[in-house]
Amino acid sequence: MHNFKYALKTLFKNKMLIFWTFAFPIILGTFFNMAFSSIEENEKLNIIPIAIVETEELEDNKIIKETFKSLSEEENKDRLFDTTYTNLEEAKNLLDEEKIAGYLYVTDTPRVIIRKNGIEETILKQVTEEILETENMIANISEKKVEESINIAIQNKEEVDIEKIVANTVSEIVTKLDSFTANIENTSNSHLSYTMIEYYTLIAMACLYGGILGMVAINQNLANMSNNGKRVSISPTSKTKILLSSSFASFVTELLGVFLLFLYTIFVLKVDYGENLGLVLLLATVGSFAGLTLGIAISCACKVNENTKVGIIISVTMLGCFLSGMMGITMKYIVDTNIPFLNKINPANMITDGFYSLYYYDTLDRYCFNLFSLLFFSILMLMIAIYHLRRQKYDSI
Amino acid sequence: MKNCIEVKNLTKEYKNIKAVDDLSFEVHEGEIVGLLGPNGSGKTTTINCILSLLNFGKGTIKIFGTKMSPNAYDIKKEIGVVFQDVAVFEELNVYDNIDYFCGLYIKDKTLRKKYIEDAIKLVGLEEFKKFYPKQLSGGLLRRLNIACGIAHKPKLIFLDEPTVAVDPQSRNNILEGIKTLRELGATIVYTTHYMEEVEILCDRVIILDKGKLLASGTTDELKALANIEEKVSLEVYDLEAKSIEKMKELKNVEDITYNNNILVITYKKGKNNLVELMDYLKTAHIKYNKIFSERPTLNDVFLELTGKELRDS
Repeated sequence: MHNFKYALKTLFKNKMLIFWTFAFPIILGTFFNMAFSSIEENEKLNIIPIAIVETEELEDNKIIKETFKSLSEEENKDRLFDTTYTNLEEAKNLLDEEKIAGYLYVTDTPRVIIRKNGIEETILKQVTEEILETENMIANISEKKVEESINIAIQNKEEVDIEKIVANTVSEIVTKLDSFTANIENTSNSHLSYTMIEYYTLIAMACLYGGILGMVAINQNLANMSNNGKRVSISPTSKTKILLSSSFASFVTELLGVFLLFLYTIFVLKVDYGENLGLVLLLATVGSFAGLTLGIAISCACKVNENTKVGIIISVTMLGCFLSGMMGITMKYIVDTNIPFLNKINPANMITDGFYSLYYYDTLDRYCFNLFSLLFFSILMLMIAIYHLRRQKYDSI
Repeated sequence: MKNCIEVKNLTKEYKNIKAVDDLSFEVHEGEIVGLLGPNGSGKTTTINCILSLLNFGKGTIKIFGTKMSPNAYDIKKEIGVVFQDVAVFEELNVYDNIDYFCGLYIKDKTLRKKYIEDAIKLVGLEEFKKFYPKQLSGGLLRRLNIACGIAHKPKLIFLDEPTVAVDPQSRNNILEGIKTLRELGATIVYTTHYMEEVEILCDRVIILDKGKLLASGTTDELKALANIEEKVSLEVYDLEAKSIEKMKELKNVEDITYNNNILVITYKKGKNNLVELMDYLKTAHIKYNKIFSERPTLNDVFLELTGKELRDS
């Protein structure tokens, strides 16, 4: 407790640490807010103008018709399209005059007609493809479900209850449709709220900056790293106790920094982390632990002076955040596509991807994967640290 | 007298260079032992080996009769160390720095508070309790460094060059403090390359060079090794070379140097050297302004043993 108290005291009075842990993420968050809020506003207004050719097939295809209707309603806060219902000739004219990004022509095979390959055109194509895939899926489910239910009833020598089978099938289709609608709306979210990625990487950065605090916990207590460490090493208090209490103090300080950043972004910058704030905080806590252990491992393994260690930790953190999309979401996709392994071992990406998955997916599978990846990463870092810390005496100090 | 420290055949190498070479010595309870040697002679390395901070190739080290090891917490409890480099937290004030380091030894808060006050008084930092290290002068910082090392009232204290680069006032304060610690019953190992401090403080002196023990004993015992009786210095102007040659023929004269009008005559042994010299000066009509005689110093001993000056080496 004595060491913990003084470790906290020294951390809170260290201006360099306070800057990197508390001030820098908040300053960067404020800049993000200033830089991206106007972009976000503009993007929100950027509803894609499209046309849908009115045909008999369209009238028969309720899924396509209703989905586009829903995504074009003015009351819909996630409105994606400004849709003009017209005939084929008029649609062609609108496209020639570049008044629309493309048009949907539903015949036996629904088609999207576009003139160029921009973001708006891509979104129109993706949404249409997703609708068609879902339509096929529902058709398959209906057919299989009914068939399976009848077969099961026959095998069990039960009476075939057609009403029950239909009810079950409809229920499953409704569930799939709900999920599909949510998915389509999320697609619109991804377009409208990409700045959230910036905040996610900002939090990841704040978590990983805890590495500097981890480094301090090691540097101040080991004889081969500082004069104070020499003094501590010759005391009758065990090295394990000292290192654990100092590391815990660093972790507490780091968490305070991260939670302060959350409070600032939520209440001052009005960032909405969604309904899963508890899970967001849990991931940030585990991320902070990963950051702390990263700093501890770097501090133990690198036999360089303190400033160089700080430089290494900041460089690793910034590189990790860059690769996970801090300076543009495109980078995350480039790495995910071309060098997926890099992002699998990148703790910044584990944190941002965990947040991302909470925001985009209904299930927690990907979130849990990232959470456990961070824990595994932390254990690995601790093992590296323990390997270097196991020695009791040094060859030189 | 009980042994506080027993070092036997200690050898420590850095990349095939012997920093400590087959060193053996003992420190008895209640005495101040000076480890004297030039920079790089192995004083600090020896202390770090004794404290179990450094690995060493050969040798055994016992403190209070027990083999020293990194986990010998019962021994560590009784040891205080003042390192050559100041080891304090910049973020803590004088009181908190001492409290932190003392707290690693003394868990009882009331007792600790008393010990801290005693330490502050001992080093004369009463007026600076709330000061932060960067607000202290070099000398005051050294005093804080000492207070942090000895606040828990250890039985055995290692002071590694505690007066390097301090002002005369702080140096006197530090030396007085060390004497007080001895009076309180502490055994002290004091490393320095300032021979004057050793002569003032130490009961016994161990002279090291290149990691080897050159000699040990009381200051008088060591001075006896110098093989000189006294040195006589005179301020003389325009002394001719033939006069110097004549003086070299005087009884017991070992060596004569004449630089910047200062004539230094070193005598090997014998008595009445000064009287005979003055007789000669009178006879030869050599006028002089000042004259004084001094006993050999530890520097002379070092010179005798190694052929080089203690401070210049």
